[in-house]
Amino acid sequence: MTDDPNDGEIKMVVAIVRPDRLGEVKQALAETGAPSLTVTNVSGRGSQPAKKGQWRGEQYTVDLHQKVKIECVVADIPVQDVVDAILDSASTGEPGDGKIFVLDVEDAYQVRTKKQGREAV
Amino acid sequence: MTVPLQLDAGAIASGVNNVWILVVCFLIFFMQPGFALLEAGQVRAKNVGNVLMKNMTDWTLGVLVFFIVGAGVSSIVGGLTSPGGFSVAGAFAYINDPTAYIGWFFGAVFAMTAATIVSGAVAGRMNFNAYVFVAAAMTAIIYPAVTGMTWAGGLLSGDGFIGLALGTGYLDFAGATVVHMVGGLAGLVGAKLVGPRQGRFDANGNSQPIPGHSMLLAVLGTLFLAFGWYGFNVGTQATVLAASDGGLTFMGGALGQVVLNTTLGMGAGGVAAMIVSSAWQGKPDPLWTANGLLAGLVAVTGAVPHVTWWGGVILGALAGALVLPTYRWVVDSLKIDDVCGVFAVHGSAGALGTILIPVFGVTASGGYTFLGVNQLVMQIVGVVVIGVWTVAATYVAFKIADAAWGLRVSEEEEELGLDESEHGVSVYPEFTAGQREGPAMSPDGGIPGGAQDD
Repeated sequence: MTDDPNDGEIKMVVAIVRPDRLGEVKQALAETGAPSLTVTNVSGRGSQPAKKGQWRGEQYTVDLHQKVKIECVVADIPVQDVVDAILDSASTGEPGDGKIFVLDVEDAYQVRTKKQGREAV
Repeated sequence: MTVPLQLDAGAIASGVNNVWILVVCFLIFFMQPGFALLEAGQVRAKNVGNVLMKNMTDWTLGVLVFFIVGAGVSSIVGGLTSPGGFSVAGAFAYINDPTAYIGWFFGAVFAMTAATIVSGAVAGRMNFNAYVFVAAAMTAIIYPAVTGMTWAGGLLSGDGFIGLALGTGYLDFAGATVVHMVGGLAGLVGAKLVGPRQGRFDANGNSQPIPGHSMLLAVLGTLFLAFGWYGFNVGTQATVLAASDGGLTFMGGALGQVVLNTTLGMGAGGVAAMIVSSAWQGKPDPLWTANGLLAGLVAVTGAVPHVTWWGGVILGALAGALVLPTYRWVVDSLKIDDVCGVFAVHGSAGALGTILIPVFGVTASGGYTFLGVNQLVMQIVGVVVIGVWTVAATYVAFKIADAAWGLRVSEEEEELGLDESEHGVSVYPEFTAGQREGPAMSPDGGIPGGAQDD
């Protein structure tokens, strides 16, 4: 690990993945050294084909698929390691595996200790 | 109390008793929504519709099969395994005899209770067609053969070959073994043959929890079941008024004995499971308490008229206390994914409660009496015979279903959930409103020609 893995910045990785891959992703992130994360149930539309639902013989389109959104903020761990871990662990090769976004984080605070910045992450 | 009457006492007694039977049958039918909720609460949200379909199929297909085939098979097995003999025409005479229909219905609600227990064990991964076949086999042959050997006067009854040899009949009043142990064992065999749900055991074979999606539904279902159980147990005391020499005798003592033991067994089972779950897990657990309540009911179901009130408490408490360790044994030692714990709740509790009946025997005046070594031997033999038959017959039924349809859905279908893969529905649909005519979406969600289309 370099002294300054993310050019001194704090990065947030937002990953939208299949719900059933969550266990593997958590495991991979822990092995990468970035076990802290936030998970939300979300629904969204992407490259996964729409499904047909039916109710009393009438069909409706389900193009919003259930996913989980994982937010992982890192300072000392190279953000590319986190991205790679999710890319490997969340993949099935089928449309609908999800997306990963990397964002800059302006600042961070730890509520308990009042620490600020990279220390807080 | 004996009341002199000018009227035909026999007709009055018959009328009252038959109305009583009908009412308790309606109560027993109410165990079906109980099972549906209990099982639905213990599976993932993506499999709820499938569990509901299985429960409805057990009842709807079951009543048809039990009318056309099952009830007759019961009589035939009864005749075959006793010196009485049988005729096929006689066994199926009920089909065109309106005076036999209430009796048939009384049998049917019990049969469907046995059948519907199985679905809780195999939830979340079994092929629906295969399940429908197994449900039909349960109500056509597997369960009727057991009632044939017992309540219909066959093998284990006082008139059957084994009963005559031991000089006493098998005691199982309302079906702790005949109904519940049969369902519980069939479920265990099914869960073993279908195999565990994906992710139930890790690579080292250690169990991983797959929590049910609603403890509320599971506990409400438990209490619905307990309500229906009053029909099951108290209703089996089918004689409310006994006619004799122009007088009528109200069977209050007999009814009281069964309603008290049913209630105390239920209470003791729930309390015992609460205590054991506290000791085992550190805190009293609602689902274990609910399971213990049911196990207590199962344990006393065969025993209610035959045991003292404190015998009912002990049987219920034993069954309730054993639910958690028995379930853990099934999962951790046998490595069987019995989703709703039907073996611990219905199977082992039914066997235990029925075997121990002679140890807690009650006299007509409410005192204690040991019912004799022969009775104890008869109870053990009966449990073994019913158990061996159920395991063997269920094994064959599942193997036939396996050959015809395959027992399991594919891995992808299991992952997706059986509601969608087997039935094309979602029990908890979201984001279905607001469908608008609009531009066709490209495969990645962008609008063709739009800014996102690359």
